[in-house]
Amino acid sequence: MRSFIKFLTVIIPVAVLFSSGLTYAQDEKLDIIIQPDEIKVTVGDELQLSAILVDENGNTLTDDIIFYSRSRNNVAITRDGLLIAKNAGTFTGLAQYSGEYYSGRRFRKSFEIIILPSPIEDVTIVSVPENIYEGTTIEVGVKVTDQAGLDRSNDPVILSTSDESIAAFVNGKLKTFKSGKIDIKAEAGGKMAEYSTKILKNPVQSVEIIETVNKARTGDVVDFQAKALDKKGNEITDIPIRYTFMAEPDDNLATTVSGQVSQNGKFVANIPGNYTLIAQAGSAIDETNVRVDQRNVKQRLEVVGHGPVLDVHTSDLWVWEGVDGRDYAVTGTWGANGDAYFWDVTDPSNITLIDTVHVDARTVNDVKISEDGRIGVLTREGASNRKNGIVILDVSNPRDVKILSEYTNDLTGGVHNAFIYENHVYAVNNGRKYDIINIEDPTNPRTVSKFELDTPGHSIHDVWIEDGIAYSSNWSDGIVAVDVGSGLVDGSPEKTGVAGGSPENPVFLGSYSYPSGWNHAAFPFKSKSTGDFYVIAGDEAFPQGLPSRNNPVKADGWLHFVKFDGWDSPDEVARYQIPEAGTHNYWVIDDVLFVAYYNAGLRIVDISGELMGNLYNQGREIATFEPNHPDALIPNSPFTWGPQPHKGHIFISDWNSGIWAVKLVDENSGLN
Amino acid sequence: MGDDNCHPYFLMKKILVLSFIILSSSSNILAQKYFFYVAAESDDIVELIEFDAQKKEAHIVESIEVGTFPAENEGPHGMTVSQDGKHWFVTIAHGMPYGQVWKFETSTNKVVGKTELGLFPASMEISEITGFLYIVNFNLHGEMEASTISVVDPETMDLIENIPVGIMPHGSRISSDGNYQYHVSMMTDELFEIDTQRLEVSRRLKLTEKDMTMNHEGHDMKNNEGMMMHNTIVKPTWADPHPSQNMVYVAGNGSHEILEINTDDWKVTRRFNAGSGNAPYNLEVSSDGKLLVASYKGGAATGIWDLDEGKELAKISNSRKVSHGVSISPDSRYAFISIEGIGGEPGSVDVIDLRSFEMIDTIETGKQAGGIYFWKVES
Repeated sequence: MRSFIKFLTVIIPVAVLFSSGLTYAQDEKLDIIIQPDEIKVTVGDELQLSAILVDENGNTLTDDIIFYSRSRNNVAITRDGLLIAKNAGTFTGLAQYSGEYYSGRRFRKSFEIIILPSPIEDVTIVSVPENIYEGTTIEVGVKVTDQAGLDRSNDPVILSTSDESIAAFVNGKLKTFKSGKIDIKAEAGGKMAEYSTKILKNPVQSVEIIETVNKARTGDVVDFQAKALDKKGNEITDIPIRYTFMAEPDDNLATTVSGQVSQNGKFVANIPGNYTLIAQAGSAIDETNVRVDQRNVKQRLEVVGHGPVLDVHTSDLWVWEGVDGRDYAVTGTWGANGDAYFWDVTDPSNITLIDTVHVDARTVNDVKISEDGRIGVLTREGASNRKNGIVILDVSNPRDVKILSEYTNDLTGGVHNAFIYENHVYAVNNGRKYDIINIEDPTNPRTVSKFELDTPGHSIHDVWIEDGIAYSSNWSDGIVAVDVGSGLVDGSPEKTGVAGGSPENPVFLGSYSYPSGWNHAAFPFKSKSTGDFYVIAGDEAFPQGLPSRNNPVKADGWLHFVKFDGWDSPDEVARYQIPEAGTHNYWVIDDVLFVAYYNAGLRIVDISGELMGNLYNQGREIATFEPNHPDALIPNSPFTWGPQPHKGHIFISDWNSGIWAVKLVDENSGLN
Repeated sequence: MGDDNCHPYFLMKKILVLSFIILSSSSNILAQKYFFYVAAESDDIVELIEFDAQKKEAHIVESIEVGTFPAENEGPHGMTVSQDGKHWFVTIAHGMPYGQVWKFETSTNKVVGKTELGLFPASMEISEITGFLYIVNFNLHGEMEASTISVVDPETMDLIENIPVGIMPHGSRISSDGNYQYHVSMMTDELFEIDTQRLEVSRRLKLTEKDMTMNHEGHDMKNNEGMMMHNTIVKPTWADPHPSQNMVYVAGNGSHEILEINTDDWKVTRRFNAGSGNAPYNLEVSSDGKLLVASYKGGAATGIWDLDEGKELAKISNSRKVSHGVSISPDSRYAFISIEGIGGEPGSVDVIDLRSFEMIDTIETGKQAGGIYFWKVES
């Protein structure tokens, strides 16, 4: 360590004694002159910069100046001053001199670089309906590209028509008033596109809501699609129909939005009341009334048992029926001593610690048990030799768990999560990939393949296997489905069994990402009530900082319900979002969602029927439980990690307080 | 490098250092308090520690939480302090997937800036000539592939450059004149020299002797960081240039030796045998240039070497296993050794008196104490 700080902190008192006029301040008499003095270039340009060091009289002292860029992704500058403009904007470069003409360590000068966007090359009107009818509002698509070949469609585009008495653009949409010919014009960056079209007389005489219901519950998706008819009763299929609603909620002081409508004719109410659903095409309107009642699914939740872990943080859990027919659970520990706890949960009111397995780690983040209840896997992080990897266990006797093997090949960066499926461990490791490890001989595991995305900066957090498909959660790359031996041909999930995947040959099926980049978990489920197939993508985020004993912080994020109708058509249709809390792990059985919502505890949610909107607002919550303990690591503070329903009980692990068992008491039978 | 030593800055520095050495020998050095930062990698905290030389006691002044996710171990690893002492920096090893460097104020220990780096950023230091911060992207993860040195302007936290280097760059320190950054490439057995102004590799040196390559079968790899075999023998883990001589010292973690490299000739001039199984990991040369202190990761000990003689003066057992970082006070009087520990054990910092060669105090820290860097002395 040669840091100047040592020098300063120790020597300063002595330096006072020796003050001789030498200075380390920047010498005001010098300057760096950069050529050109105004740097304005266009994306794709290259420009050679030059610089000289001058004294107070402007005399050149040296041209030994080194250049740097403060924004290398937007503008590259070589040390010798060759500038390459990558992206438009205003950026900063740095010219620096160190040498005999300056008494300090370095003489710096920052300079501004203006990079102009490449000129627009082309404007094209790309999507206009073939038939446009008077009295309607439509979208017009415009594509803009520049000379650098970049898509600039988000640049400001001026839209206009040749006759605004016939049709005009209002807030970017074309609103038509009467029939006649017009030219649609789109202009950007001095380039213009024109499209000639005709506004047709509106043939619609009536609109008819095809079929709907007149009673529903909050959260039920009401389909009220309509058709437009001409005077002969023929359907006009290419005229846009607009859908809206009017609400008369029972509680006029309700604080949430009363409902939500989509432009494909679907409506969902959040609160009880009378609703008028309206379909409109031109001047024709149809409407229907629907009475919405409370969903009425709430049940009483009873706390059955608690296995306290109050001295260290608890991580994941797994509950299973042992080979002896009794029920067991395993929980991991976080930032602790490398322990995994085994519990007898046969009587959930008497959760009993029966064994502890210790491994060389600080965190046993994930614990999983094989389908036959004989093999377990622990993931390791913080091993003292930094090899980490996984530990494979014989759990056939959970009272005397034995370590069968440790496996670290290519898993040195730490294994965060894992899943056991058909004699293979899927080990998420190094934050980048999952290795697929054959454990047919659990004493001699061997890696048979691995799956890793190839997107820039890709990362991964977890993986879950069901029906031979691996669903991984990949932060900014979202959820990714991979065939590892599905064999399914038709139906769900999800109509793709022909990919030919296997553990030795994982095959990408499909993916879905979303802007926040918070994707932390993925769980597939086929709706028992509708047959729809979803993958629930869960967030993890802590924008409000870290929790501590004195600061039990709030998490953020929600569950995204992504409906797949084939792997190439994901559609995010609904969410479950609790304000001021954030999701972690979750589970679905029979259209009931069990979600560990960190500081909001356990939430049990009815997800039956078609899903739309924010399920949190729709009275779908069946029960809630916020585990806490006065002697917990963070006292009286729920921080729920994961749930697992098992034989009528719901087991949860809580980061601060250990393992809990709760159950629902059905007192009103309101759940479908 | 020789020309730069004639620069007025260096002349004054030499005068002042000499003056300090003379004065300190007769002054009340025992009344001083020494402050340093150490990262506890498995607890996501950084400890600010004060050592009171008079009381011979160290204590934690403050534990500073770092990281973003409570349920993810983000791994604070490397530490450094700015030249003016107003800011400290810590690398966050684990990210999504890239790690970061965080900037804190020393006056408040509050974070004031962050920059994304490469995979598993580790040790770092600031060059006095450029003012830039040079950070090795250790990339302990997965495949053996060439990594980078990230260069950051610590004032603005702009990423200035990523310099392509070898596999698993580690153990970086910068020469006194600020012109060169030295680090090792663990998985290619090389020493790298980076030109800190031109931001490019100026030289690289293979550290393996020919006869080593013929006799490395059965080599004990158990103390090596990570497990990826890349046919390395020396498996260097640290490099530290001498404060006044044109030498760089390298920890040979795999070959259990300390190597001396003459930067004028760019050759290995001496190899100090640290003893089988000791696995030197980090090292530092004292500011007076006389001693070299090395952490023996495998031996759970600290080795103190006389550089003139090339002789180990003392081997001091550490307070627990997995010895990690070394920081020597600028008066060359004390060495502070970070010790990782195992599992649920706390980490610790051992304070070693470099006159008596005794461990005079141990302070427990968060788990897996690693990166350690000196901040200041107060009288």
